[in-house]
Amino acid sequence: MPIALPLLAALIWSLLPLLWQLLTSLRTPEALVLQGPAAWLQGWTLANYRQVLQGDPPFWRYLFNSCLVGAASTGLTLLLAIPAAYGLQRQRPALRGGISLLLLAAAMFPYVLLFLALLELARALGWGNQLLALALPYAGLSLPLAVLLLRAAFADLPAELEDAARLEGLNLWQRLHRVLLPLLAPAVASTAILVFLFSWNEYPIALTWISRNDMLTLPVAMARIAGSSVYAVPYGAFAAATVLGGLPLLALVLVFQRQIVSGLTQGAVKG
Amino acid sequence: MTLLLLLPALALVLGVFLWPLLRYGWLSLQASSVLTGLVPMPNGGANWQRLLADARFWQDAAQTLRFAGLSLALELLLGLGLALLLHRPLPRRGLVRALVLLPWALPTTVMALGWRWILNDPFGPLNGLLQSLGLPAYGFLSQPASTWLFTVLADVWKTTPFVALLLLAGLQAIPSELEEALRLEGAGPWQRLRRLTLPLLAPYLLLTALFRLAQALGVFDLIQVLTGGGPASSTESLALYAYLNAMRFLDFGYAATLMLGMFALVLGLSALVLLTQALRRRLAEVTP
Repeated sequence: MPIALPLLAALIWSLLPLLWQLLTSLRTPEALVLQGPAAWLQGWTLANYRQVLQGDPPFWRYLFNSCLVGAASTGLTLLLAIPAAYGLQRQRPALRGGISLLLLAAAMFPYVLLFLALLELARALGWGNQLLALALPYAGLSLPLAVLLLRAAFADLPAELEDAARLEGLNLWQRLHRVLLPLLAPAVASTAILVFLFSWNEYPIALTWISRNDMLTLPVAMARIAGSSVYAVPYGAFAAATVLGGLPLLALVLVFQRQIVSGLTQGAVKG
Repeated sequence: MTLLLLLPALALVLGVFLWPLLRYGWLSLQASSVLTGLVPMPNGGANWQRLLADARFWQDAAQTLRFAGLSLALELLLGLGLALLLHRPLPRRGLVRALVLLPWALPTTVMALGWRWILNDPFGPLNGLLQSLGLPAYGFLSQPASTWLFTVLADVWKTTPFVALLLLAGLQAIPSELEEALRLEGAGPWQRLRRLTLPLLAPYLLLTALFRLAQALGVFDLIQVLTGGGPASSTESLALYAYLNAMRFLDFGYAATLMLGMFALVLGLSALVLLTQALRRRLAEVTP
């Protein structure tokens, strides 16, 4: 069977809705409601992008917020997950299996269920409208998968390696830092990118923790546009925001495609 | 000693996952709403009695199941097809994978709004297509009978690449010699799929199905942005109903009860899937 045809179909299926956003973002509101082929000759504009970039707060503010939260969550997750994965790998098989199973169940859990109790916590601790505070629940939600992925990577390293380092007189921190981690770099990268994607896209917790307009993360800012009115969503401006918000992810996916794929597939194999 | 290294991570995980469930257990036995000034007061099992008699809860449960069932079936089917496609030697494999993966990587709310425009009545591109074929415009998002199908469409579009990648991992674990041996026996592509690929892929299919089932039963972002639960609550999911109870009706006691009801549903269905799988394997062992 020739492969080109189904491949083309898959690509069109994936990309057409995105390309449509790009087209919409370049059209004037009047042009969006015109019918017929003649409509394509007129009504092209960059005004939607100007509107989004000069909004209050300007669009880059949401990008910055999401980047900040993503970076903090990723850093915190790795900081906790790397020692935990090492510790888990060193446990007796029965205990290791039990904890791994619990982590797997947590990784599958539909976390939207948790938002109300987490919101209560945030209110009690005064964490509302604190961007960096989001890193705590995000790290907690990402840890199960992160620990499982990194545990599998530790298991793949030959045991003699660490024994040799121990005989050299290196302590635990030195063994981790100088010997094991450099070899784990690919797995750490995969884990990091998956955690970053999760916190970049997370919605229910950010929605309930953050209310100040200039503190919103990207997904919440986008949804707020939708909530502003059911009937007159400014689609041109919104499409421009989609494109601007999608570009960093497009770059991320193109650059880290290998790490994302290996992270997901490792998760499936070892999880 | 090495157990100590695990503790910080486990503490945070327990805090984020276990604490809310315990808290809901307690809160579901309290009246905690605007009527009580959001101060919890024990009310016996009143929340649970209300849940059992709440027609909207049962309707949303049925709608959530309908959504999850159809999405899961389509995503596994299309995901398997896509995985088989991506498993073959492709030109520019990395680029193709990245492009196919893109819908999954974008925030759900972003693409839910994108779909809202695509499905817009009458100006969206899909209606433009209908009209250029001489058909009348269709209210994709305003038909109580059919709008849920378009929430499934948006979910399938976004999640199929993810399913495909998990299954791709399974395909890559199948030794190519086995496939070659079957080919030499004269087995066609369909036979190779049924006799070799699907049986060896079974654990991956099971894991993917469990993961997607749990996520689809918790669907929230997509519904909230694409339809807001409408028209006439016909696409409202359990998670959205619980959210409305907490954030709009300010009834924390009942919202916590709904969360636990949803949790029971996820747990029950996952157990059912695991049991039927175990049973099928047992049957396959006794009947050669």
